[in-house]
Amino acid sequence: MIERPAVRVQSLRKAFDVPVRQPGLKASIGALFKRETREVVAVDELNFEVGAGEVVGFLGPNGAGKTTSLKMLAGLLHPTSGTAEVLGFTPWQRQPAYLRKMALIMGNRNQLQWDLPVLDSFELVRSIYRLPRQQFTDTRDEMIALLELGALVDKPVRNLSLGERMKAEIAGALLHLPAVLFLDEPTIGLDITMQKRIRTFVAEYNRKQGATVLLTSHYMADVQALCKRVIVIDHGTVLFDGGLQRLADEFGSTKTIVARLDVADGEKLDTYGRSATNRGDGTWSIQVTRSEVAEVTGRLLAEQAVVDLTIEDPPIEDVIERVFSRGSTPA
Amino acid sequence: MTRPSPGWRDPDRAGSLRLAALFFRVGAQNELQYRLNFVVQLLQSILGVAAGLVGLAVVFAHTNNLGGWSRPQLLVVMGIFLMMNGITQAFIQPSMNLLIADIQKGTLDFPLTKPVDAQVLVSVRSVDIWQAADSLIGLIIVIVGLVQQDVAVHLVDIVSFVLLMLMGTVTIYCFWLMLASTAFWLIKTDEMQELFQGLYRTGQYPVGIYPGWLRYGITFVVPLAFAITVPAEALTGRLEHLALVGAAGLTLALLVISRLLWRKGLQRYGGASS
Amino acid sequence: MITAEPASGPIAETEPGRFREFRTNALWLWRYYTQFMRLAIITQFQYRAANYFYMIGMIAEPVVYLVVWSTIARTNGGSVGGFTPGTFAAYYIVWTLVRNINIVFTPFGWEQRIKDGELSGLLLQPIHPIHRDLAFFAGWKVIVIILWLPIAAALTLIFHPSLSPTVWQCVVFFLALWGAYLIRSMFLWALGLISLWTTRVSAIFQAYFMAELLLSGRLVPLTLMPKWARSLAGVLPFQSTFGFPITALTGPITDAQLWHGLLTQLWWIVVGGLIVKLMWRRGIRRFASVGG
Repeated sequence: MIERPAVRVQSLRKAFDVPVRQPGLKASIGALFKRETREVVAVDELNFEVGAGEVVGFLGPNGAGKTTSLKMLAGLLHPTSGTAEVLGFTPWQRQPAYLRKMALIMGNRNQLQWDLPVLDSFELVRSIYRLPRQQFTDTRDEMIALLELGALVDKPVRNLSLGERMKAEIAGALLHLPAVLFLDEPTIGLDITMQKRIRTFVAEYNRKQGATVLLTSHYMADVQALCKRVIVIDHGTVLFDGGLQRLADEFGSTKTIVARLDVADGEKLDTYGRSATNRGDGTWSIQVTRSEVAEVTGRLLAEQAVVDLTIEDPPIEDVIERVFSRGSTPA
Repeated sequence: MTRPSPGWRDPDRAGSLRLAALFFRVGAQNELQYRLNFVVQLLQSILGVAAGLVGLAVVFAHTNNLGGWSRPQLLVVMGIFLMMNGITQAFIQPSMNLLIADIQKGTLDFPLTKPVDAQVLVSVRSVDIWQAADSLIGLIIVIVGLVQQDVAVHLVDIVSFVLLMLMGTVTIYCFWLMLASTAFWLIKTDEMQELFQGLYRTGQYPVGIYPGWLRYGITFVVPLAFAITVPAEALTGRLEHLALVGAAGLTLALLVISRLLWRKGLQRYGGASS
Repeated sequence: MITAEPASGPIAETEPGRFREFRTNALWLWRYYTQFMRLAIITQFQYRAANYFYMIGMIAEPVVYLVVWSTIARTNGGSVGGFTPGTFAAYYIVWTLVRNINIVFTPFGWEQRIKDGELSGLLLQPIHPIHRDLAFFAGWKVIVIILWLPIAAALTLIFHPSLSPTVWQCVVFFLALWGAYLIRSMFLWALGLISLWTTRVSAIFQAYFMAELLLSGRLVPLTLMPKWARSLAGVLPFQSTFGFPITALTGPITDAQLWHGLLTQLWWIVVGGLIVKLMWRRGIRRFASVGG
């Protein structure tokens, strides 16, 4: 028997009508009666499936259509055309039965009650989702233990740090044990330890509940830790859909050496590595292949007045860019 | 942190005033880009005035004078009430709201680090000129009232009226500055603004009709009597010379008191943030 | 009006099954309401000083009306349109309680709600968000009434109201307060929902509030208004939110008028609920097509 996918997206398209505003009084009064608009396509011909229990990274540069796609899957947006099915529901019909099985967590949104202790906020969640007492208490205590919230739950939300608030937020959003979970930049703005903690928790939740997770993140570490598979989109279309390994190979093939020199910006470092760019303030970033790292670093230290030197993985945007540029142009 | 320069004998005072004018012009230009807002604001003002006029009509359907004021004379009071409201909302309140927000968020450093008198700077930072639509309509209503009343208005009355309006504006400004300065001590002052707006409504009728305790309150605690009723008295042949002197005295006193309170608050702010 | 959301799972067709489901739904809704009322009480108690300032500012409005009309009554030899300074005092002091009960989610709040994503958050939850506002503002009333009592006492000492309601009037008054609360909640919610279509709503809101001021009994008892205004008020919901609850307690009012007033309130609750239901469905469809 072929198992039904948890998420199935077919030819999904979303276009927004953006008003075109002309300056001047006459134009703005005219706009009251006849609005000139321009169509902006956020998501175009999106097709993919996610199996039950899968964790998939949803990647792409800013404005690629990731958040728009997640909002459609969470039922907040109605598509212009195409279909999507999540757990057998059409999300934008917003049936209560669907909303009880789904959660959308956005990194910079807060659904907890600002002036109330976290525990009280959880009680509100209980009455919103109609959770039986026993199930609620068990889940809550487990979440508190897993996310190490014990010392925080008696404090009002406004007294928590950003990271603590995010942990409480995630616990609150999962109290109803959703079978499908949409995470939009869940770790944005958090420090490394907190990012790690949240990552581990999501993995744990996925393992225990068998929940399907679709996640966007700017932090490659999030994606590496959680997703076996990634979907890369740009301009609203899928460019890459496959195992993380393939993307990681790509990712591992180059490194960036960031060097800060004593002289302001006189020196040219174009001769090192494949390409070098001046970031200003005497800071240069140099692209090298993995095998060149040791050699180039050695030369830099020997030949230049280096104040500071770090070796970085390229940002995720660069990786994605490489992923699709290889597909479209001959290497 | 830079201390504000010591007040009244500031050599930069001329500079401060020039700066005030500049801020005002930039703010106004900014707003002028959104001329449609003026239409909306005018519409809202007209609606508000219409309700006020219906209210007056209901009152005068049952009587022909209120505490000795005839219907056209009450129109004059209402017109001045609107003029003052427009002035406050357009030129005083926006800067004061900004000031309160800055004090609460601890972001007042920007105006304090400029080489001009900080009080001038925080008082002119923001204008919302479309709110002045109320003033325009108010002026029209004052004129209608003056034409209808049977008291002759002389040049001297108009001069006193203009003087009193200027002093009234200053008193309301001082009151707002004091209100805003309380934000240095109290955490939430939004509701104090609600309080002022609520009390301001009492100004649409002459203070004389209110019972004694309230009359004192809106004369000396919230200085509405001198900002609205007294200018109206100038135009309706009621003004006593003593009131003119009183208005001048109150204005001066409030200028000094608000200045002191503001500086006291600044000291506290400096102590808390450094 | 607003129905509880159906429970998930197969719906039993048998009568006892359906009854059980109804009971479960009602229980959960009750729990939801009590939770959010509790939230409001805790939150607003933290802001009690702010609440007080707000309230005192609000008291200025009826005091102005009261002073003006008492002055007129005195100039006219003690009464105007059947009102004496004492009955005016009763009218406007009861007004202060009714006004407080009438505080609901402001239509001006919707723009912010949409902008900062609160609405999106509410849409993710499997319950109609009007329940949250109804519950929250109802809970807030507990704090409001406690804070109101000393103000009412002070106003009573200053203005000497003459008030002698019957027990039945008190009962109707109590019911009418909550009727007014529901009607004003519904209509202002519907008004605020216009923000889902356009952002230039402030003039529309203003027009609504002006009509309410003049035709509800808020500015002046409706019996003092001209005849045309009274007939207009008769076909609009405003009177049910100010004039009727106030007069139910202060009188003069007959038993028939009391019943009629309650039924009128019921009618406007139903109408308001239907308008909200319709506008919400349309508005959310629009919201979901232009960006959540």
